[in-house]
Amino acid sequence: MNKEKSTILKSVTKPGRYSGGEYGQIIKDKTKVKARFAFCFPDTYEIGMSNLGLRILYGVLNKEDDVWCERVYDPWVDMQEKMREHNLPLCACESGDPLTVFDMVGFTLQYEMSYTNVLNMLDLAGIPLYAKDRDDSFPIIIGGGPCAYNAEPVADFFDLFDIGEGEEMLPELCRLYIKMKDEGRYTKQAYLREAARTIEGVYVPSFYDVTYNDDGTIKAYTPIYDDIPKQVKKRIITDMDKAYFPDKVVMPYIETVHDRVMLEVYRGCIRGCRFCQAGMIYRPVREKTPEVLNEQAKCLYEATGYDEISLTSLSISDYTQLEKLTEQLLEWTNDNMVSLSLPSLRVDSFTKELMDKIASVRSSSLTFAPEAGTQRLRDVINKNVREDDLLRAVNVAFEAGKNTVKLYFMSGLPTETYEDLKGIADLAVSVIDAYYKCPTRNKAKKPQVTISVSCFIPKPFTPFQWEAQDTMEMLAEKQEYLGSQITDRKIRYTHHDARVSRVEAVLARGDRRLAPALELACREGFKFDSWDECFDYDKWMSVFERTGVDPAFYANRAFGLDEVLPWDIIDCGVSKEFFLRERAKAYGETTTPNCREKCSGCGANALGGERTCCPKKAN
Amino acid sequence: MLPEKSKLTEKKRLRSLPELERPLTVRLKFRKTGSLQYISHLDLQRTFMRVIVRACIPAWYTKGFNPHAKLVFSTPLSVGAQSTCEYLDIRIDREMSCDEIKDRLNAELTDELYITDAYIPKNDFSEIAWSSYDIEIRTAEANAELASKAKTLLTTSPLMMIKKSKSGEKEVDIIPMIKSVDAYYHEENKTLKIKCVLSASSTVYLNPEMLITALKNNLGIMSGDPTEEWYTIMRTGLYTGELEIFR
Repeated sequence: MNKEKSTILKSVTKPGRYSGGEYGQIIKDKTKVKARFAFCFPDTYEIGMSNLGLRILYGVLNKEDDVWCERVYDPWVDMQEKMREHNLPLCACESGDPLTVFDMVGFTLQYEMSYTNVLNMLDLAGIPLYAKDRDDSFPIIIGGGPCAYNAEPVADFFDLFDIGEGEEMLPELCRLYIKMKDEGRYTKQAYLREAARTIEGVYVPSFYDVTYNDDGTIKAYTPIYDDIPKQVKKRIITDMDKAYFPDKVVMPYIETVHDRVMLEVYRGCIRGCRFCQAGMIYRPVREKTPEVLNEQAKCLYEATGYDEISLTSLSISDYTQLEKLTEQLLEWTNDNMVSLSLPSLRVDSFTKELMDKIASVRSSSLTFAPEAGTQRLRDVINKNVREDDLLRAVNVAFEAGKNTVKLYFMSGLPTETYEDLKGIADLAVSVIDAYYKCPTRNKAKKPQVTISVSCFIPKPFTPFQWEAQDTMEMLAEKQEYLGSQITDRKIRYTHHDARVSRVEAVLARGDRRLAPALELACREGFKFDSWDECFDYDKWMSVFERTGVDPAFYANRAFGLDEVLPWDIIDCGVSKEFFLRERAKAYGETTTPNCREKCSGCGANALGGERTCCPKKAN
Repeated sequence: MLPEKSKLTEKKRLRSLPELERPLTVRLKFRKTGSLQYISHLDLQRTFMRVIVRACIPAWYTKGFNPHAKLVFSTPLSVGAQSTCEYLDIRIDREMSCDEIKDRLNAELTDELYITDAYIPKNDFSEIAWSSYDIEIRTAEANAELASKAKTLLTTSPLMMIKKSKSGEKEVDIIPMIKSVDAYYHEENKTLKIKCVLSASSTVYLNPEMLITALKNNLGIMSGDPTEEWYTIMRTGLYTGELEIFR
């Protein structure tokens, strides 16, 4: 498609999504590179351009002279219609070449609800969905990202997955590809075999046979070769100070979700909330030093011109050097009118000193995530936050003149009772009361508390991975009950769509038998299922029914503690024994201290890591 | 240009210079072509905010709660139209030559968004009255006859078109808003080419897309395969009421 003269681009919404030509994009001579990599983000340009992982891997791959990595985003519905109508294939941003000419096509799997986009993008590109239907003329299809930890529902569509952090793995995969091509011994099968054999973190799903028991549970995963790992261990970057850092940024012209510098402060999380997958799979905690971060922040500011720096991590207030870092940053950010933002703040660490430093002064709202309404349930989920902490934190905010607070909760958590739900409403009332008790509050304004309630989804690699999700009826009833408990008009109540959460639960804990359902979903035109306007629950149920999938088997069944789980093929570094221990403690309403207070022996220390709180692994 | 690492140092140096008695307005003439034609006015504004920071331009910042550089653009260009003559006024509060500003900005831009001139403005944006465009149309029916039909259509009053404005939709004769128009058939490209000068004042503005719509509606062109048929619009100049080149 000639972008300059395209009549089609003139007829779609936000054509800037497709026009490319951004400052900072990397253009190479395609006749001189030896491996072309298409990095696909299975959602819109605005979301994909804000993804830090994509930024890092784009840079890391392009650092290799003979590799050219380009970006691909999922075109919005109107553009897809035009593309299908006029037989225009999905193309990469930089070269405008269709995906079929690439050597490798990588998808980042950030959330389960994007699986239909992945298949749809393959289809738009004219690439057969199933790996077995693609001969050597097609690119190698690679998956990675958090959902790759249980990518079994989409396993049949991928040639390989990279498990864990990709900064080293992806260049290794390209180097191996180039080497085998140069030596004239490349075939897809030979390449996959060698990658599985020699590159740690590589999972080739077709190399493992899966057998099932009569009751539908999994019997075993059996490697078809002796020289490939029986369990694929995730990769990590051990020293974050030395990790590749993208000092050049592709600058979007159109507004994206995060138009700011994203400074990755550390990986992992010390907390161990029992529902949280990210808190487990990114272990161990590995920090960067403030000196390195300050230099990187300067570099990114100079390369982008953004007026905001966001300190990103899973829980920023747990960074041991936060004070030192913010001090160093403030030495130059104020003068240049750059503001700092600290998302992911925990209530127990929110202080006036911290608030004075951050940019949220620009907005009048603050967000906290107590997750559950009673101390009992917060103990069950190991969210070590007390009501006092929350009230103290909101008081700090109110004293500073703020009047709106947003609180995140989860409904349907294991052991949850109606009392716990009422606790959510009560907590909101206490926050309102705290506002009126605060003598230095902004007396001209009324307080506003927003309660946003999501539905619990049991996720692989968490202590709650075996739990049954509440049925839709139960979730709906609970949502309604909570609504009835909120009588104060100063409290706004929103909740997630339980139907989306149910499909997400099916995909999250699914196995390879979901492939036909996803294929059918793709054939029926499913796309953008994480977008309310596109998601259709009844159609999903119909697809499941027609492909013989019982959604309750995956979502609403308590998995047996001794059952072979679809994701047992992956070793995320945290042991199953730890998850079992944590699960037992949850039912005993006992908390586990955070990693810095006391090591709970999850096993992730065996992965190594610099500037971590983990004890050194015993030799 | 400046080595990357020294930008913060350069900004510090600029801040240490004496502040101008009052902010100085510098006019930037720039082109917006190719893929940049799909970038909206608002996005362009955001882009320049960042480019000015990256380029270490001593921009004057508004005082107040949310300080920002003051940018004033000339007549907005609609999405899907290109231009070789867009204008942007910036204000600086430390001394820097116009050429230096131009060079610094261009180091942070691409060929498709590029400063072609920087100078102390002569005219006021309110003096803009006319804008010239080159339009090229690839359509199955393109020939010399179609060109003459197009010219007749665009020069014969009344040519009633629906114009959208803040107060709603209104049918108006667009011929008085067309200062001049020439249409011819380009043998080599097999395209219809139109050169025109349209009203571009703040009160009467004729979007060149309107001409395309008029041609489509009345001559039935570009009704075929959108991957084969296309059109491009290029703004080539802005003029004052006396048809002098805007400076």
